[in-house]
Amino acid sequence: MISSGERELELLIGPQHPASGHMRLVAKVDGDVVVELRPNIGYVHRSVEKLAEVKKYLQIIPLVERPSLADTTANNLAYVMALEKLLGIEPPERAKYLRTLLAEINRIHSHLYGLGIHGVMIGSSTAYMWCFGDREPFLELAQELTGARLTYSYIIPGGVRRDLPAGLGERAERVLRYMENRMRDYFNLYFNNPVVRARLEGVGVLSRHDAINLGITGPNLRASGVAYDVRRAEPYAAYPELEFDIVTEEAGDSFARVMVRVREIVESMRIIRQVIRKIPEGPILHESYEKLIPPKLRESMKQRGMVKFPSVFANLRVPPGEAISRVEGGRGEVVFHIVSDGKLSPYRMRMVTPSFRNVILFEHLTRGVRVADIPAIYGSLDYFPPEADR
Amino acid sequence: MSLSRTVRHAKAILTGFKYLFAGPRLTLMYPDDIQELPEGYRGMIEYDWDSCIKCSLCAMVCPADAMKMYVSKEESEREGKVVKRPGINYTRCIFCGFCVDICPTDSLRFTKVHDVAYYTYEEQIYPPAEFSKGVPRPLYLREPRKVRAVLDERRGIRYEPARS
Amino acid sequence: MDILKLLFEPYIFIPLVFPGLVAAFLLLLIIIWLERKIAAKVQLRYGPLYVFKPLGGVIQTIADLLRYLFQEPIVPREADKLAFLMTPVFLFGLAYLPVVAVPISPTYYAFRSDVSLLIVMALTTLAPIFTVLMGWSSNNKFSLIGGVREGYLVISYEIPMFLSAISMAILYKSLDLVEIAEAQKGLWGVILNPLAAINMLLLMYMSTSKFPFEIPEAESEIVAGPYTEYSGIIYGLVMGASYVKLYVLSLVYSILFLGGWNPLPINDPMVAGAMLFVKAFLLVALGAFLRAVYPRFRIDQAISIGWKIAFPLSLISVVISLLLIMGGVSLVVK
Repeated sequence: MISSGERELELLIGPQHPASGHMRLVAKVDGDVVVELRPNIGYVHRSVEKLAEVKKYLQIIPLVERPSLADTTANNLAYVMALEKLLGIEPPERAKYLRTLLAEINRIHSHLYGLGIHGVMIGSSTAYMWCFGDREPFLELAQELTGARLTYSYIIPGGVRRDLPAGLGERAERVLRYMENRMRDYFNLYFNNPVVRARLEGVGVLSRHDAINLGITGPNLRASGVAYDVRRAEPYAAYPELEFDIVTEEAGDSFARVMVRVREIVESMRIIRQVIRKIPEGPILHESYEKLIPPKLRESMKQRGMVKFPSVFANLRVPPGEAISRVEGGRGEVVFHIVSDGKLSPYRMRMVTPSFRNVILFEHLTRGVRVADIPAIYGSLDYFPPEADR
Repeated sequence: MSLSRTVRHAKAILTGFKYLFAGPRLTLMYPDDIQELPEGYRGMIEYDWDSCIKCSLCAMVCPADAMKMYVSKEESEREGKVVKRPGINYTRCIFCGFCVDICPTDSLRFTKVHDVAYYTYEEQIYPPAEFSKGVPRPLYLREPRKVRAVLDERRGIRYEPARS
Repeated sequence: MDILKLLFEPYIFIPLVFPGLVAAFLLLLIIIWLERKIAAKVQLRYGPLYVFKPLGGVIQTIADLLRYLFQEPIVPREADKLAFLMTPVFLFGLAYLPVVAVPISPTYYAFRSDVSLLIVMALTTLAPIFTVLMGWSSNNKFSLIGGVREGYLVISYEIPMFLSAISMAILYKSLDLVEIAEAQKGLWGVILNPLAAINMLLLMYMSTSKFPFEIPEAESEIVAGPYTEYSGIIYGLVMGASYVKLYVLSLVYSILFLGGWNPLPINDPMVAGAMLFVKAFLLVALGAFLRAVYPRFRIDQAISIGWKIAFPLSLISVVISLLLIMGGVSLVVK
């Protein structure tokens, strides 16, 4: 185990470890103090980018959703936005609002997922169960809207696949009120619990300067006091017309990262309310595609509120060119870069996920912390190995 | 400082007690209770033999190569040309529903069936003839109760017996 | 008949039946189920349910026990085999051994000693040694860290816990558990010296690694700490040991602070024993409930709680006891 004269113990945390996720953390510890921690990633690499080069444009939609299963809408939306830029079409207003609605529902349940995992990492099984239980009403809403619990594949070039079901707004309002009530208990039992505070406050502090220099993104960046959000910096979908605040915290520690997520849930609920109030009437699919659908089918599609694909979607041809799109997902900024050479598949697709950009924090934040702080920091980053590995 | 911490300890414990005696439960008692799924749920797929125009768009759009066109021998011999019909492989299907949405004649339709278990891989492949016979009905040991998820302001989600 | 009579002789009945092995085993079966049920209720779910549904899955633990019995216990090749296999047995045995000195009524005890409180406290300190040994013998880095953590915890809770107990002994002017319980016919110890009561409760949960002190086996950090390499029934033993230890400490706590078997309606050993058992059971259940409220502390935070909070508090509680004695609060009935 340890040869004589050696001071440091090498701990291999993962991939067979209750809290490592699909990755290995190679930790060198001196007593209870972490000297060095190197994340060993790539265990769940699925070569999404290479696969995209042999798949047709529409077939890539489910593919890009798969890596980040808790936050599928961000990838779906970012990919379709890049595709729409290449196709030169703009979705109708109602579709934009529906995209925003799903993105915000997804943000809430993605944050709850991250908070829950973090909870169980510091030992609170109640936080875990509560967060995962309270995801359920939001998944139910999303399921009603899209027909699936997580892998929505809801956003397609030129619009969305389903119209808002009757009465969903009212049901969403009930869920939001429920969540607002529950927030108080979350604070009483978990966030304001002195043990939680002791475990998270002042642990893994990321300074504003380092956060910017390391290229950190999403809630982890905002927890260090940088008010940067793609929804504001480069508005897309219906965000320009909606009121919301960029949530920031100054401390930059694990607790600040948790608080940013909690407050973003509240902010997302505000956005959902606005979407439901303001959503305009109209088509949900771009007219150039809608007119390709046979008239009889078009009628029934409008009645049922479910889009039928025009047959061009099977072999969607995209004009040559390049497009980049950015979306603020639950975990941070998602970037897609598509290079088209006019064929049925992209020549090259680049997918930058927030987890991949945040993985550097493992090494950066854990120097000199205690062994027990490793999960406290890991969880607070809301790092999702499959998303980073792609 | 220490006092406020004591208050927060007390609050945490009292909140725990509150839920110990009065909290709701979110569990869906799955094999005994089966949730009635919303309209448009993307479950297993139904195939209508007669209205299919054999356009093969479903096989073309399928992102997982689950939907394939099979040569229909009988029809090919009868009509003197190669006739192909779609079959599905549920080991590959990801339930994205693209095939259903692209079908120009609504020959493919969603069902709400999603919880079927198979013994072998081979059973999960449905060539056109079997595909058109409809989706399998899940076998339950006890006849389950159908419940409906009601989104509730106080309890989040509540499962009520469904009115059929 | 003679055998049955022999069974009810205190020196056999107490260690083997009640509050000894049989009662501890029953409590183990119920409390593990109850702990899961309590956590489940707070966490908006049902917990174990399907094994004997009419009573809410109460025999789930028996099903688990059977599973442990039939599971192959794997001994790692590099482990110190003798120590690896023997420590769970010693751990479990020593966890419940202090029961022999616990009286269950003013007249019913295995043996009466002037220093039974000291005997109980001394015997409870033996078990952690085997946890440390377990961590070492497994030859696994996570086990080792877990064992070391246990060692650190022991030195930080043992002294204040002893002092808290001693402060009550000072108050009752006795180290005899029977006398201590009898002294509380009127006021309970928890009212006389609440500081010692709170302190001892905290340390009791700390010593049996209940939340928020579930540090030696912190799952998300060191897998299962000293127990990482254990499987099968020997894992069942080590898992049961900490509950049994909590149970024994709860019995002592009930005698020290909660009046023991008082108030006693009739002087019958069984009634007195039941009274004591219910109090101890509630304390164990409270420990189970805390799992649903708290995450776990870090090891350095737990140690600093032991030395910076619990230790001074225990000194203060000794002073309180002394002041009460000097103030002339006469409680000892003799």
